[in-house]
Amino acid sequence: MFRPKLLFTGLAALALGACAPSDPQAVTSAAIAKQVILPTYSRWVNADRQLAVSALAYCQGKSDLDTARADFLHAQKAWAELQPLLIGPLAEGNRSWQVQFWPDKKNLVGRQVEQLVTAQPQITAEALAKSSVVVQGLSAYEYILFDANIDMAAADQKALYCPLLTAIGERQKNLAEEILNSWNSTDGMLAQLSKFPNQRYADSHEAIAELLRVQVTALDTLKKKLGTPLGRQSKGVPQPFQADAWRSKASLSSLQASLASAETVWSGVDNKGLRGLLPAEQKPLADKIDAAYAESRKQLAALKPPLVELLATEQGRQQLNAFYDSLNVVHRLHEGELAKALGIQLGFNANDGD
Amino acid sequence: MVTDMLRRQALALGSLVLSACTLGGWTLLRKKGESPLLLSARDDSDGRHYAVGYRVDGTRVFATQVAQRCHDIIDHPTLSIALFVARRPGTESYLIDLRDGRLLQTITSRPNRHFYGHAVIHKSGEWLYATENDTTDPGRGLLGVYRFNGERLEHSGEIPTHGIGPHQVSWMPDGETLAVANGGIRTEAESRVEMNLDAMEPSLVLMQRDGTLLSKETLSQQMNSVRHMAIARDGTIVAGQQFMGPSHESAELLAIKRPGQPFQAFPVAEQQLQAMAHYTASVAIHNELRLVALTAPRGNRFFIWDLDSGAVKLDAPLPDCAGVGAVADGFVVTSGQGRCRFYDCRQNTLAPQPLELPAGLWDNHLHLV
Repeated sequence: MFRPKLLFTGLAALALGACAPSDPQAVTSAAIAKQVILPTYSRWVNADRQLAVSALAYCQGKSDLDTARADFLHAQKAWAELQPLLIGPLAEGNRSWQVQFWPDKKNLVGRQVEQLVTAQPQITAEALAKSSVVVQGLSAYEYILFDANIDMAAADQKALYCPLLTAIGERQKNLAEEILNSWNSTDGMLAQLSKFPNQRYADSHEAIAELLRVQVTALDTLKKKLGTPLGRQSKGVPQPFQADAWRSKASLSSLQASLASAETVWSGVDNKGLRGLLPAEQKPLADKIDAAYAESRKQLAALKPPLVELLATEQGRQQLNAFYDSLNVVHRLHEGELAKALGIQLGFNANDGD
Repeated sequence: MVTDMLRRQALALGSLVLSACTLGGWTLLRKKGESPLLLSARDDSDGRHYAVGYRVDGTRVFATQVAQRCHDIIDHPTLSIALFVARRPGTESYLIDLRDGRLLQTITSRPNRHFYGHAVIHKSGEWLYATENDTTDPGRGLLGVYRFNGERLEHSGEIPTHGIGPHQVSWMPDGETLAVANGGIRTEAESRVEMNLDAMEPSLVLMQRDGTLLSKETLSQQMNSVRHMAIARDGTIVAGQQFMGPSHESAELLAIKRPGQPFQAFPVAEQQLQAMAHYTASVAIHNELRLVALTAPRGNRFFIWDLDSGAVKLDAPLPDCAGVGAVADGFVVTSGQGRCRFYDCRQNTLAPQPLELPAGLWDNHLHLV
């Protein structure tokens, strides 16, 4: 446990100081930030800009409901891709809740949207930013466009919900732009994942540790997003309305986007992902993780959406459980063997404090 | 192994910065040997538990393996010994010789009792009070009263904490009045599962050490568990909470009781409350600088405020930040995952200085001697 204190640290530091850029953890952290995370955040910003334009066009009668729904699904996918990359500003405060409210066991989204459109019929993005997180994001947007009890083809309904719809589009665009700016600013997140030490990380190892931790949390969340509707927390009784994006039937496509993104953190661009940090003797572990991702992808590809129909049959539930098990293998490998091989301590007090 | 090499490179790079900081004149590091002793419970990566003592400059004094995970540490006013208190629902606390880490005595809780992780020693050096659970009436809060016989502790009796699920106990500045954070949650023996989330009774109690209740106050939210405290020299109490209610609700996670005033929320900005993920771990006060520091390990966030004005001095990311304690010029903070840091709080802009202590696996409290 207690490493012998490194002798001649001063000397070593001097020697290493000159070649700091060759620190493999610093190189990997910077590469993941620049080649994987930042492009995904940029896609999210673009999708939310499109969402804001789309809401306005739809509400002004310049585009149809199908287009509005397609733009929502695009934004939902961009958000799903961010799940394994929730590091820094978007992971702090409750900003991720402002993008999506999940889990929603008590249909707070539906109830609070209905209250809000009555209480503040002409709500703006600024006013929305001060409202409950439940109604600020994609979950409320999805409710308006997809809920079975809302008929946006009827003029009075459209008039009732449109101010909130456009406010959410604007709010999401502003939030995404604000986050991207904080990544790109001087001493922002991109810089903090690239040059060490800094205000956030004492060394590159801390940055790699956080990247893995975020990855492990995301994989665990994916399991919950599948396991909750499957009834794994409710004695096997399926809970289709507790799925992520169930109204738009985007639950499985969201899982797919998140899983693909998680795999990119692992494999990286030009092998500059977490895998690249494993020494040669750890090749069996690297192969095992590659195989686990491949298996999970294969299981997911075999599923015929929507989730709600798979939940309704025994065969469908078996398939979903098999996919869940494959996700679990990916999750456990990251949490256990990979963390150990990289010398990373995951959640000690955070998950088990007092 | 390659990971060790990576680790060493990182450490070496860190030490480069550290040397720069030392040159900058931080007294704790400059005068080696006079650095305070940091006591904490710590694990190793295989899950074994230790009672450890390190000088803040990184020198290891002892690391004694113990059977049960500990939580808070309390040192004796005159003898060079300290009690590492069992973490809830542990049944063994360890009396350790601070000079060499020798285990002097294992104090086992009485039948139908377990420790809650915190204790205090009276200024006379004769009496020790530890928060305990009466598992025959789960959650009924007690202070186990123990008496020192030389360097040994003997159980002497118990008094109620006038509340449920007590957690931290502290002395008021008179050294006679006890403050108890009653978490309000009932748990059974050998369990950490909450039994009464719909009927929690958290409270802040002031009592005499003969058990007489002086005051009992509550915050506005019933599901807001009062857990930890720090008490300033002027008698100001700050308390850190853990909120058990719905995750999208806002909670008063830091509270204050100024002398002669009611127990109430400390003026924390909504944005900061949201960053705490409803969970605070340790609070500490810096008497000379009049600052309060708070760790929020689930939110991976470390905060410092001006105790009097409520102004934010620091709102910084720190993964799984755990224990915090005041040293001459600021605060030392440990982490369950990353490196420990020192914040020199005499500056206007507070910047972290990584410490040469081992990284990660530090429990939620530290005690500086």
